Amino acid sequence: MLADELRLASFAVLAALALVALPLFLHLPGWVPLVFALLLAWRATLVWQRRPLPRRLWLMLGLLLPVAALWLNLRTLVGREGGVAFLLLLVGGKALETASLRDWRVLLALGFFLAATPLLFDQSPLSALWLLLSLFALTWAMVLLSGEDARLSPAVTARALLLSFPLMVVLFVVMPRLPGPLWSMPTEQQGATTGLADSMSPGAIGKMIPSREPVFTAEFRGSQPRVSQLYWRVMVFDQFDGTRWTAANLALPRGVALSGEAQPLRYDVVAEPFQGYLPMLEQGVEAGEGVVLGYQQKLRRVDAANIARLRYSVQSVASSQYRDALDEREQAFYLQLPADNPRTIQAGQALAGRHPQPAARLQALQLWLAEQGLRYTLSPPTLADNVVDGFLFDSRQGFCEHFSSAFTVLARAAGLPARVVVGFQGGEFNTQGRFWQIRSSDAHAWSEVWVDGSWRRVDATALVAPQRVDAGIDNTLGEVAPRMPLVGGRPPGWAQWVGQQWQLANFSWQRWVVGYDAASQQNLFQKLGLGEVSAANVVKALLGGMALVLLPLAAYVLHGRRGRRSMAQRVWQVLGQRLRGAGLPITPGDTAAELQAHAARLAEADQQALAALLQQWQRLQYGPQGGDAAAWRHLWRQVRAFRPAKVGRKR
Amino acid sequence: MQSITFAYRQLNALILGKPQQTRLALACLLAGGHLLIEDVPGVGKTTLAHSLAAVLGLDYRRVQFTSDLLPADVLGGSVFLPGEGRFEFRPGPVFAQLLLADEINRASPKVQSALLEAMEEQQVSADGVTHALPEPFFVIATQNPDGQRGTFPLPESQLDRFLMRISLGYPPADAELKLLQGGDRRQVMHKLTAALSATDLLQLQQQAASLHVSPALAGYVLALLQATRQPELFLHGLSPRAGLALLAAARAWALLDGRDHVLPEDIKAVFVPVAAHRLTPRLPGSDSSALLLRILGNVALA
Repeated sequence: MLADELRLASFAVLAALALVALPLFLHLPGWVPLVFALLLAWRATLVWQRRPLPRRLWLMLGLLLPVAALWLNLRTLVGREGGVAFLLLLVGGKALETASLRDWRVLLALGFFLAATPLLFDQSPLSALWLLLSLFALTWAMVLLSGEDARLSPAVTARALLLSFPLMVVLFVVMPRLPGPLWSMPTEQQGATTGLADSMSPGAIGKMIPSREPVFTAEFRGSQPRVSQLYWRVMVFDQFDGTRWTAANLALPRGVALSGEAQPLRYDVVAEPFQGYLPMLEQGVEAGEGVVLGYQQKLRRVDAANIARLRYSVQSVASSQYRDALDEREQAFYLQLPADNPRTIQAGQALAGRHPQPAARLQALQLWLAEQGLRYTLSPPTLADNVVDGFLFDSRQGFCEHFSSAFTVLARAAGLPARVVVGFQGGEFNTQGRFWQIRSSDAHAWSEVWVDGSWRRVDATALVAPQRVDAGIDNTLGEVAPRMPLVGGRPPGWAQWVGQQWQLANFSWQRWVVGYDAASQQNLFQKLGLGEVSAANVVKALLGGMALVLLPLAAYVLHGRRGRRSMAQRVWQVLGQRLRGAGLPITPGDTAAELQAHAARLAEADQQALAALLQQWQRLQYGPQGGDAAAWRHLWRQVRAFRPAKVGRKR
Repeated sequence: MQSITFAYRQLNALILGKPQQTRLALACLLAGGHLLIEDVPGVGKTTLAHSLAAVLGLDYRRVQFTSDLLPADVLGGSVFLPGEGRFEFRPGPVFAQLLLADEINRASPKVQSALLEAMEEQQVSADGVTHALPEPFFVIATQNPDGQRGTFPLPESQLDRFLMRISLGYPPADAELKLLQGGDRRQVMHKLTAALSATDLLQLQQQAASLHVSPALAGYVLALLQATRQPELFLHGLSPRAGLALLAAARAWALLDGRDHVLPEDIKAVFVPVAAHRLTPRLPGSDSSALLLRILGNVALA
């Protein structure tokens, strides 16, 4: 390899490393990738100016300082963040002691390892696309390191990657997986995940609405529900301190009896837990594998500490109430109220006095709320003390949090046990993929009131702005807040189409690639008739799959080579094969005369046929006139038809 | 063509049991190349050279190379003529149509290179005057195998000047018996008649050079050349000049067969004599000829 070639390849390696590490800016403390970039730039400058490597001392300092800073920053060098950051710094340091061809190869191998690390943080299709890009860049650098001509190198790279792609698919499908989702790894800080907050004070959910970030998907088997039925329950807030709702999480297991005997809806959800809980349609009847339906009708995963994305099945009955027996103590718990918001408490007590029947009282409460002239908006004025009073009697503007909070306080004041339920309402149906996409902006809060032995859902928001529930948040915002700067109303038609396609891609990706876990693998093995995922079966499937993939590939490559052979080569090779097949000791270098000499052991007719063929061959191949394509085709047909009889053993 | 066949037949009557070697020698001369015969003494090297000159009707000189030979003994030198008061160039034995340089590796390198230069340039320069050598001009050199005492082996760059190197080897038993009974072969040589003139020979050489070489055949030659360039076989592979020499020899060989085009058979026939002396095997002790035969067996025609 020439020095200039190595120089070019070195730049390619450094550039590929920079590309590979780029997504880590999103996941690591910003200064770590920055230091990495500086180390690479340092090395690139040295290559550029053809200067020698820095002295060991400088290198040690350049590496020890950032590592020390990393320790101070994260307090660890292992785990997801610490480990990746540490690795990144080490690779950067390695670049500065890379001189020989072999060193560059080692650095490149580290690059391949590094390319996988962004997946530890994010497994979206975008990350996968970036990984593909990284693979291309790294392979390209590898091709350049191997001394390939720079102009040919992109094509060589693309070809190499394309040829290896089928094998990659086989390995992905067949290699045994650890139980649990792909790339799961413990994170350092719990709760850094996006989603619902663990408490509710007016304003928190409002901030989420502008975000159209997809949060989970649901796929119904059989009949599709109506949008107004889609109350995705996640958490329950049952404690109020006057401004903030939180979950007390009393561990009171109890069985749940459902009212109504409607046909349950069956569906699969792919979601990440929110504060440990998973979305489920009200009212859940039966939870599938890996999830449990428990206290306060909340769904959580069996291994509660695992916060990775999960695919699970649930059965629900679309109903607005469920039966639950509360004892005195519990009823008292759901009636607790602080002394704040006196006007609301007064209103509740007044209504309670007029309507002794709980069911009638609940109706009266709803009617009263509807008559207060409240307005649904995403940008209500901020409220200081006595937030519920301020909302109900002064500002009269708010969104679901204000409504549900106010109604729950009102109900408790009126002597009805009540609580706030937080989750998502609605969703967008993807007509191509036939699944529901639920976004951050679908987050919602509503109340549950315990009347006559049943928890009944009261969506106070719907009392005021029913279109929020019937038509979904997109339409509601279009009417209610047409000039919201952040939301900008409904996107145009084509953008919606693009959005749906992207959702579909995302959904398929989550479902088929990220969600391909041990269970799906077992399923697939069974469908393919391979049986259990055991070591022997995996080896079998691996070998079979590789053969399945590599044989056509080999055939393609060989055929390609054959296609490039000239007619003369084919004629000569087939002729040799025929004679060898007849049992003659042909060697590759034999000339026509030598073949004829070997053929002395053939039958007379075969000898003569061979002589005629060889004569034609010599004339076309070496004669002064040469041969045109037609003559060659003629000879080719004859050679293919030539099948000499096998010779016996030498006497 | 008849004349050359006649010449060939006469040679074989004299050199018994060596039809391949005599044919190679004839082909070498037809291709206009110089011939190196390498063998132990007494197997008929000189006889072959002498009889070639006789049947081809060439003016023949012989120089026995010894360690004290000087270049002027071969090339000729200026002699002072006292009567006329000037120097005159007296041509040496190299000014012959066929020069037999016997035991060339006994002479000092200085003499060897003087002769080989003359062979390459087809001329001799002395005292600032260039004297052209006759046409046709052939050198048949004989040498004892390396390792014999008192020899200066020719370096590769000079061996390259010879189109072919052949060995006669011991004659087959029946031929040798006939030889033992038949008396001195040198007596027989006087009975040889010239089958063709120098002009005929030049014409035949031109005819040989014009034989058709198809692209496929050139491709085959290229494949052979490339096969010799595998680093594990020889120190250096064959040069392009060796490739041209191979084609020239094969053309002459094809002409002897009476064909108007060259076949791979012709290439194979001359390959070892043309190539072996130009190559040094990578492994000491291995034999160029054997390696070349292996290449011939493995390189496919197409």
